[in-house]
Amino acid sequence: MAKAKGYSDENLSVRLADRYYRTDDASPDFLKNVEKIGMTIPHMCYQCGTCTGSCPSAPRSSYRIRKFVRRAVLGLENDSLTDPDLWLCTTCYSCTDRCPRDIAPTDVIMAMRNLAFKREIVPRNFLNTVQFIYKTGHGVPNNDVNRAARVRLGLEAEPETTAKYPDFIPGIQKILDHYGLKDKADEILAEGQ
Amino acid sequence: MVDETKSQKPRVGVYICHCGTNIAGSIDIQALQEYAKTIPNVVHADDYQYMCSTPGQKKIEDDIKEHDLTGIVVAACSPRLHEPTFRTATKEGGLNQFRFEMANIREQNSWVHMHDREGATDKAKDAIRMAVAKASLLEDLVPKSVPVEHTAMVVGAGVGGIQAALDLASSGIKTYLIEKSPTIGGRMSQLDKTFPTLDCSQCILTPKMVDVGRHPNIELMTYTEVESVEGYIGNFDITLRKKARGVLTPTEAEARGIVGGGCNGCGDCEAVCPVIKPNPFEMGMAPRKAIYIYHPQVVPLIYTVDFDSCVKCGLCVDECGDKKAIDLEQEDEFVTIKVGTAVLAVGYELFPVEKKTEWGYKRYDNVITSLEFERLICASGPTGGKLIRPSDGETPKKIGFVLCAGSRDNTGIGKPYCSRFCCMYSLKHAHQLHEKIPGSQSYLFYMDIRSFGKMYEEFYYRIQDEGAKFIRGRVAKIEEDPINKNLYVMTEDTLLGQPVNIELDMVVLASAVQPTEETDHVRHLFGVSQSQDGWLLEAHPKLNPCGTTTAGVFLAGVCQGPKDIPDTVAQAEGAASAASIPIHVGEVELEPYFAMCIEEKCAGCGMCIDLCPYAALALGEKDGRTVMQVTEAKCKGCGTCGGFCPGGAIWMQHFATPQIVAQIDAFLLGGEQ
Amino acid sequence: MSGKTHQYAFFLGCIAPNRYPGIESAAIKTSKNLGIDLVPLKGASCCPAPGAFGSIDLKVWMTMAARNLVLAEQMNMDIALICNGCYKSIWEVNHKLKHHDELRDDVNEVLKEIDMEFKGTIDVRHLAEIYYDQAICGPAKVADSVTTPLKGVKVAIHYGCHLLKPRKDREFAVPEVGETENPMWMEELVAALGAEPVQYRNKMQCCGAGGGVRGYDIAHALDITNEKLINMNEVGADAITEVCPFCQLQFDRGQIEIKEKFGVEWTMPVLHFSELLGLAQGMSPQDLALDLHGISCEPFLNKLQ
Repeated sequence: MAKAKGYSDENLSVRLADRYYRTDDASPDFLKNVEKIGMTIPHMCYQCGTCTGSCPSAPRSSYRIRKFVRRAVLGLENDSLTDPDLWLCTTCYSCTDRCPRDIAPTDVIMAMRNLAFKREIVPRNFLNTVQFIYKTGHGVPNNDVNRAARVRLGLEAEPETTAKYPDFIPGIQKILDHYGLKDKADEILAEGQ
Repeated sequence: MVDETKSQKPRVGVYICHCGTNIAGSIDIQALQEYAKTIPNVVHADDYQYMCSTPGQKKIEDDIKEHDLTGIVVAACSPRLHEPTFRTATKEGGLNQFRFEMANIREQNSWVHMHDREGATDKAKDAIRMAVAKASLLEDLVPKSVPVEHTAMVVGAGVGGIQAALDLASSGIKTYLIEKSPTIGGRMSQLDKTFPTLDCSQCILTPKMVDVGRHPNIELMTYTEVESVEGYIGNFDITLRKKARGVLTPTEAEARGIVGGGCNGCGDCEAVCPVIKPNPFEMGMAPRKAIYIYHPQVVPLIYTVDFDSCVKCGLCVDECGDKKAIDLEQEDEFVTIKVGTAVLAVGYELFPVEKKTEWGYKRYDNVITSLEFERLICASGPTGGKLIRPSDGETPKKIGFVLCAGSRDNTGIGKPYCSRFCCMYSLKHAHQLHEKIPGSQSYLFYMDIRSFGKMYEEFYYRIQDEGAKFIRGRVAKIEEDPINKNLYVMTEDTLLGQPVNIELDMVVLASAVQPTEETDHVRHLFGVSQSQDGWLLEAHPKLNPCGTTTAGVFLAGVCQGPKDIPDTVAQAEGAASAASIPIHVGEVELEPYFAMCIEEKCAGCGMCIDLCPYAALALGEKDGRTVMQVTEAKCKGCGTCGGFCPGGAIWMQHFATPQIVAQIDAFLLGGEQ
Repeated sequence: MSGKTHQYAFFLGCIAPNRYPGIESAAIKTSKNLGIDLVPLKGASCCPAPGAFGSIDLKVWMTMAARNLVLAEQMNMDIALICNGCYKSIWEVNHKLKHHDELRDDVNEVLKEIDMEFKGTIDVRHLAEIYYDQAICGPAKVADSVTTPLKGVKVAIHYGCHLLKPRKDREFAVPEVGETENPMWMEELVAALGAEPVQYRNKMQCCGAGGGVRGYDIAHALDITNEKLINMNEVGADAITEVCPFCQLQFDRGQIEIKEKFGVEWTMPVLHFSELLGLAQGMSPQDLALDLHGISCEPFLNKLQ
């Protein structure tokens, strides 16, 4: 844990803040949880950099997948889950495809995102997707312009999905409710207002 | 077979070893000691911290006399470690050394049941009880000595094989040096310079190659492979396949009555040959003819015809003229030799790194492997030592080296191990560029720099001082510019935390190494195992790195695992020394686990003869009856015949049926209920 | 394998049926001409989007995908789909649940509540790899079905990500399909249509849309897309083709957004392979609802000889 400076000038306390990593900075179950949820083995990482070298987001941002894997190993839960770069991974899986230690860095990110959501840290667009699926069964629901186009093509206005068969939607809602997803999403969206 | 001691009641001494905490940590030694005292036939039971120590062994020696023991049981580690130790102690105590039985309560017990003290202790009781049952029935046996052929064989004539052959030959042993390719020298011949001394590789190797060619005790057989191996240590019967070279040596020509004939290496034949093929010595970057030598310094300096590509036009024969050195009708010849010991030094090849498609080898012109680089930078290579870009023949100015290309790879495509010498040769390559191409810039893309050997770290210091740039990042991918064929190497500089995209003229992949294609076949011939990583298995990685578990067969060089030239030469010397011992001693003791025919019971049916995998059995006449006879030197005691004989007429010494049945009974019927 | 040969339950996803219905219509008609029957899969939902949904909760993602799989199991028919994102959800969850008892049991615990059970009885394939598989179709058969070859145009192929990567978590009936660094099988399919497939820098790079990034930081996603457009344009591509409606959306609407946000103008038509195949089999732009595309396909259509 960082030693507080406690100077009379708060600004100096912040600027000169203790930067050491100490063993008690490690969140005890973070690595274990990431490995369990992501079903992968970040503890085997030897920091070769192949992942970041493969990443499309790295050359245009401060996002470094290798550093996220490092944080998982060192138990830096807070740094990981509060870093906005966590959401810049496009899940292209190039890193996973090339990792020589057979780790899935993408799944480390997915696991961290799952853990962040549990802490109610999640960008709004994800919650909007949950809402759409809960209401319509589709992440991108049908609309009138599209319905007209479908009919012009000789298709039915609604595709053979939950769009045409809304009686399947309660089943979907039951699944989402089992995990409490809708309520959690509502809660976080409300807090954000 | 039945001796007086058997009529006497067995008196077995049991010794339980603590092995420090290795055994005592998981097993209740006190309980074992007390239990041992209750086992039938046990007249003495003792325990000690380290039975293998001098005082431990002395207990056995002294107790044999004091308690009139007829059998010894030591419950300790694996017999593979200390069976010889305790057999010697038994012998020193005046008892036949084969009246000793070991119970492994460490590797097979305490080390794998560390969290079950009760279970482990019970299991150890079973093991001791079984060992006592057997020890009660063990008999006096005499090891058989067989003479050792005063000849050795070395398979593979790279620097490792050459060194091993020179040492063996110089110690007075006739040595066959077999090499599958037309010349000796192996990989070291292909190198330009060697790290860290920057010696010219061929310059330091050729004196040894010449020595080999001239040594009175070395019979060099190139373009030859091992066809079959029979026999056992001291008496290997090897059949060699002398592949049809199509060209006669002066000796061979003389034997055919051609006076002053045979190949003198003039090369006139090569000049007229119409067939052109890639030269594997030059990694396919230069041509050779169907009749060829790899390079001007080959040993022996004899041409070879590649019959797979020869069109038998006969132009070479005409050109050779009176020397009559070429015989296009020559066939493979089989030669049998008898050797006492053999050293395998069969080397390595590069991993096919095109399988790692992200680096573009074989797709991009200007991505080459390290061995290709060696040939290009070598003055005797295809470009006379000028490094050029394959795409346009231009001199590259910015060159990248990809380390760990295919090594340290757990994806299932590359190799999980480290190939050991690539860090060092990549540093060497960077140096060579610095020396030969003024204004050039080398980039080494690495995960680690493994400069482990003598003067290696100092070499790393030097190369960094010369200005090579080191980027700590494993190369993620390489892209090729479709127009100028430049390469874009992409990775992350992990030390900066920044992705990099480096444009280079040329890239050299420090490819992983792997055993050659033929190694698997050769090792099967000699009965040598393979390690988990594919290289040949040594007898013990620390205490016996030159030996194998096949008596009389030794290993030298990279075939046992990646290593540099110093370590290869050192291991070759070690292998030669180990291989020379049985030969200089002149005889070797075989463990007397032989099958034995109980002639009264033998019906002479002969069904066992064909079952024997070692052809050790035969039918013979004895006192007017046909009975089976064992050639003990060939018998390995495998038990196939003994287990089969329908009349129970075969006695497997030291593993006799009554002894094994006693162990089974002791396990199932004895013990506390 | 289950059901009749060459008959598949057609998993639609979201973006094709609800934004580019021409892809749906083309897929059905063109497949029919290749002896492949795409049968309606009643009641399917979002796959669910692996990046957007999986980021929230992987367990829920698996359960939702399993529900879709069970619908096909109930039809006793393998699934064919036309979207890389759907491929990840549907194929991968099918594979995971077949091989991990614990996961399957957890998912079935939840599916029990809606009287469903994942049994692992069907297989999942992407329509593009079905077209490449000679056992069912193959490039030669595709070429034979072409009535109006797409001559005179250069087409840049965007393979996308989730169909092929990571190779260690994929198993294809035709091994060449699984190559992730330099696959060339879609080039064969495009060539079968009469068009000229072109190679471009970094052709395997992501479009930028996935993982929720399109919604989270659209400019970041568009910068990735823009890099691809630059590379495709460098080799004179007349159009982009892909096999993922989400990539299609990113490239198509993306060019409009790139103009808005970066002031960079592109006019590169974007067509799903099914739309290209439809054109090659004589379907009209109207039949394919190409007017719904953000970027006009006119320049491409006009260039066809």
